[in-house]
This record gives sequence, structure tokens and C-alpha cells, in this order.
Amino acid sequence: MYTHLHEEIEALKLKVLKMAALTEEAVGKAVRSYVKKDLYLAEEVQDGDVQVNRLDVEIDELALRLLALEQPVAGDLRFILGCMRISVDLERVADEAVNIAERSIMLSSRPPLPFQDDVAEMGGKAMAMLQHAIQAFTSGNVEAALQVCSLDNEVDVLNHKNMRKVIEYMIHETPAIERSVHTIILIRRLERIGDLATNIAESVVFISEGVNIKHKRYFDEHQ
Amino acid sequence: MTEQVKVSCRNLHFYYSDFHALQDITFDMYQHQATALIGPSGCGKSTFLRCINRMNDLIAGVRVEGSLTMDGQDLNDPAHDVVVLRRRVGMVFQKPNPFPKSIYENVAYGLRVNGVSDRNLIDTRVEESLKLAALWDEVKDRLDQSGLSLSGGQQQRLCIARAMAVEPEVLLMDEPASALDPIATQKIEELIHELKSSFTIIIVTHSMQQAARVSDRTAFFYMGRLIEVGPTSKLFTRPENKQTEDYITGRFG
Repeated sequence: MYTHLHEEIEALKLKVLKMAALTEEAVGKAVRSYVKKDLYLAEEVQDGDVQVNRLDVEIDELALRLLALEQPVAGDLRFILGCMRISVDLERVADEAVNIAERSIMLSSRPPLPFQDDVAEMGGKAMAMLQHAIQAFTSGNVEAALQVCSLDNEVDVLNHKNMRKVIEYMIHETPAIERSVHTIILIRRLERIGDLATNIAESVVFISEGVNIKHKRYFDEHQ
Repeated sequence: MTEQVKVSCRNLHFYYSDFHALQDITFDMYQHQATALIGPSGCGKSTFLRCINRMNDLIAGVRVEGSLTMDGQDLNDPAHDVVVLRRRVGMVFQKPNPFPKSIYENVAYGLRVNGVSDRNLIDTRVEESLKLAALWDEVKDRLDQSGLSLSGGQQQRLCIARAMAVEPEVLLMDEPASALDPIATQKIEELIHELKSSFTIIIVTHSMQQAARVSDRTAFFYMGRLIEVGPTSKLFTRPENKQTEDYITGRFG
């Protein structure tokens, strides 16, 4: 039996997928805007954020309405809670993309630093995590979601490596300190995108299995 | 608090003549907890409830197999005095059914038929029971009025007070709020929370939200079988059985 609630849940899923598509696009453009020094792409990311924010509010309103009026339980309840969490994470990812775009605009008018390839590599990994997390959400694939969580280490390693590299550079190239600091901030934003993609993947596991794996490693180590 | 089994059934089967109404039911109901029985109409939940105080004995051609115990005592033992059993296991029905007597006499009735004649004791027990049923403040000045003069919600609480008066150990509730408005329903639900500390409650309800709100454990019945039983918070957030999930999320049928 297909009920009104299930129609609404489909509508909720579509909104989350739309938000995910826009966010994914924003991250891709933001990274390319830095690598290619493309101001036009960076401005597109800035302008596009309002759509993501609007969807975030819409998802919140729809989820609240479903919780209040339909009193969902079990899988339906977990799906709605999961969508609320995912939309919060997607909105943050989109904000990170805007932040990266702002750095790109700032750096594009200055002589380039030799980190394009490093940023492109790290951006590619963070982007892949986000894409896989969204695919896992679309298909409800727990295995795929867990793989995203395991990729987070790779982004963390790159973050650490790139940070060291930029700091080393700064020590020898003092006129490039300001540009280097912006580059460090940009790298840090990419690392956050990896974290947020992990959060999304954890929500996919919660939706499917009803277990919360957030901070699991921390709790396991401190018990 | 350690969980203590109050009512237990093992491989319980129940037949209305040829109709196999309950099939191989095995689970425990714990003391000082509310256990909710849910499932679609005809799934056997009310039949199961009525097995516990042997109300089904009144129907011709019924047959019970397997074991059903309270505090380890076999409830279906022919030597078991049904009158004593029904004093230990009270019941509240879907429609409030006060006797056409005064409020006071409604509550005192069970005591009188159990041979209590001490007026002071009856007075005390009537007051205690009405307080337990959260009705005392509303009726204390008109105890001599007919029980039928009360509103539906008050009548239902009067029936709960009547059941409480004989100090049962288990209280069976068969859709106790289905004929009541939301405010009266809320009062009954609050009452269930209060009563749990003194009694073991087993409630049949068609409202899944009600089961979720009032019970500690929930048992889902379907076509005479127990499909899943477990802590209510788990059953309503991550049920293990697909049929349970389909039923509680409305995907059934």
C-alpha cells in the first residue's frame, strides 16, 4: 500500500538529491576555479549558494511537517531524520565551496604558488568522497557508505602533507605568506568537505541500519 | 531494576473450534511494565489478552494448548479458581461499562463480592482507587451520583478505579481509549504511566502511537502468530522483521 506519507518521503528524497547535485557541482567548480584561475566559475559558486540554502530550508520545513503530522516510525522515521542531517551537512559543504571560491578570486589576481596539482589532487579525493556518499544515499548502499568513511583517512593524510608543504614554502618565500595562508585555508576547507562527506555516509548507515556510527572510533578507543 | 517475568507463555496455541486463532506464541511480560499488543484486526491480540484472565472459557468449543503462567503458576490448570484469577487479573474494556449504581458502589462492588464488609476499609479503598485512577478530585463531592452520569473519559477512569479496588497484580486493557476524545485519552495514557509502578499492564491497542507512548515492550501479532516482540523504543525505530516494519509504517496490504 502506497500512502500519502510515502509520496511525501519521495518528495523529500528528491529535494535532498537536488541539493546534493547542486552542492557537488559547487565543489567541482570551486576547485576548478582555483586550479584554472577561473573567476567566472568562482562567481557562479557564490551566486549558486542561495539555491542550496533555499533547499536546506525547504527540507527542514517538509521534514518538520512530516514528523508533526504523520508521526512516522521505523524506516520512515530514520529516513526523515537522516535527510535532516544530510541537508545540514550538504549546506555546510556548499558553504565550504563558497569559501574556496572566495580564496580563488583573491589568489587569481596574484602570482600563482606551486600548489595547483596538490589542491587538484586533494579536491579530487574530497569530491569523490562526496559523490560516493551521495550515491550511497541514492541506492541505500551501506557497503558503499562505509567505504566513504574509510576514504576520509586519505584526505586527512593529504591535508597534513599539503599543510607541511605550504608551511615549508612560506618559511623560504616570505613575500608569499599571505597567499600561502589563503592556500592553507583552502586546503583546510577541502579537508572539511571530506569530513562532511563522511557524516553524510554515516547518515546513510543510520537510515539503513538504525545504528549510529558517528564518533564510533573515538568511543571505541575511550571505553 | 531487574526485570522480573510476571506472565509467561510458551508454545501457546488457541482454537475456536476448528479455527486456529493463536499459533505457537512464546514470550514474557514483565512485572511493573506495560506490554502493548498490536496488529491488524483479527490477528489474535484480543484473544491472547483474554487467555490471561480466561475470559475465553465463556465461549463454547475453545481449546488451549501450551503453557501460560503467572508467577510460574499454570493459568489453565483446572484446579485454578477462575474467580481468584480474575481478582488477580483485572480488566478494562474498550467501551466504559460502569454498573448502573453510584460512583461509590461501582468501586466498592468488587470488594463486596470478595466478602469485604468493613465500611472503613471500603471507604479507604474507594478513595485510594479513585485517586489512583486520577478521578478522585472530580467526583469526591458526588460519590452517591450514578456512575452513568459521568463523561465517557470519567466513566473509563471509574472502570479503572473499579478494577484497581480489588488490588489486582495484572491489569488487562482492551483498547481502553478508543472510544475517548484526545484529552480523555491523554489522561488514560498518563494513568498507565502512573499505574505501572504498582501493577503489570498488558494493553491491546489499535493506535500504534498509543502503543509507542505508553508501553515498555511491544508485541506485534499477525494472523495468529507473534511476529516480533521487543522493547518499544527498538520496535518503533528499528524493527527486525520486515512484516513489523511494513505494518507500523503503514505499508501493509
